[in-house]
Amino acid sequence: MAEMQVAEKGGKGGKVRSKKLSTRVDLTPMVDLAFLLITFFMLTTTLSKPQIMPVVMPEKKLEDLEEFQATKESQVITLMLGANDKVYYYEGITDPKLDSTDYSAEGLRKVILDKKDRVRQIFPDKEKKDEKTGDTKKISQMNVIIKPTKDARYKNIVDAFDEMKICNVALYVLLDISKQEEEFIANPAAGLKFSIEEQAKAAVGQQ
Amino acid sequence: MPKHKPKRSNPFIDMTAMCDVSFLLLTFFILTAKMRPTETVIVDTPSSISQTKLPDAGTLTLLVSKEGQVFVDMAGQHTRRYLIEQINDRYQMGLNDEEKLRFSIAGSFGVPRANLKPWLDASPADRAKMEAPGIPIDTADINNSELATWVHMARLAQFEMKKEGKVSDEYVIVVKADKDTPYPAIQKVINTLTDINVNKFNLITNMEADPSKLEAIK
Repeated sequence: MAEMQVAEKGGKGGKVRSKKLSTRVDLTPMVDLAFLLITFFMLTTTLSKPQIMPVVMPEKKLEDLEEFQATKESQVITLMLGANDKVYYYEGITDPKLDSTDYSAEGLRKVILDKKDRVRQIFPDKEKKDEKTGDTKKISQMNVIIKPTKDARYKNIVDAFDEMKICNVALYVLLDISKQEEEFIANPAAGLKFSIEEQAKAAVGQQ
Repeated sequence: MPKHKPKRSNPFIDMTAMCDVSFLLLTFFILTAKMRPTETVIVDTPSSISQTKLPDAGTLTLLVSKEGQVFVDMAGQHTRRYLIEQINDRYQMGLNDEEKLRFSIAGSFGVPRANLKPWLDASPADRAKMEAPGIPIDTADINNSELATWVHMARLAQFEMKKEGKVSDEYVIVVKADKDTPYPAIQKVINTLTDINVNKFNLITNMEADPSKLEAIK
């Protein structure tokens, strides 16, 4: 702090009087600045970490065909993510009715929750014990198949997965759409000609 | 009566100690802060209610742009160095030491293997101007798919580095795509991953409020 010790020269009578100046520097602005920077770095390091959504894809094997067939039609709802943020859906697989909705809370969520309620009446929720916490969780026996069409955008898939999480759906899967289903969207009146075997094959990527 | 004179105390508080502490913290945060890697394309990720944060472990990021080009980025200089040596040997790319070093410190890249050498030779500023067609994907033949090769070899490289103790974790596979990316582009990437037995991966999203939790607050 050299600048603080300014000796005053050339005073009255040639008397060299070193004026007593405080050697203290006011550090308050420096502390202010330091804390500002700390805040900045803290926020940028912790907040810049992006969220992730874990996805587990089924293995490409035809081994669990039996399990596939063990699922009852009334447990299944298929969502087809179409163009312009529209969702087409049908229940079961034998002569289904095509309907459409959107991604809003009043749209897809209602469809899923409604189906979940109906599934619960026929297939009671299974109880599963969480090994980590020891709590028992009720798992709905509803199966949701998500099939994005080629006109869907990435946001739609994330939205659909999100909806599964919000509605607490445990059993859902992302599969490729089949030709039959594409035709079904284009012409719902003609009906869907799609068998369980074809569905199983589509699940492992064999069309 | 003697006049009571209040003792004048010095209004200055010694800030030195506080200054010390704050700068210590500042140094800590600066050193621990990870610089965000430069990305070749800007992607606007969709939002979701997912609360899971990206783990600190090494990530292998597949960046899918709005137009569907795929870029790859992986963490860890050691792994990248090992990987480029493996790839160089396998495909006879003829990279020299300088180029290998450049690869190990580069960020995300999205050029076919044939164009990698000129891309590495270019300066970072020039790279941004270069055409980035994305990494070619061949969904029909997995051995011919460059994306599958990169991801597979990178995972092997990371595994090798883990054995040597240079890294602590295996790669976490992350897909980062723009919200307007058409599904077929995503489908190609996902199919490539499942083909090489990567059935678990993560989608990067922005935060969004969970409506079920909002209800609980109300």
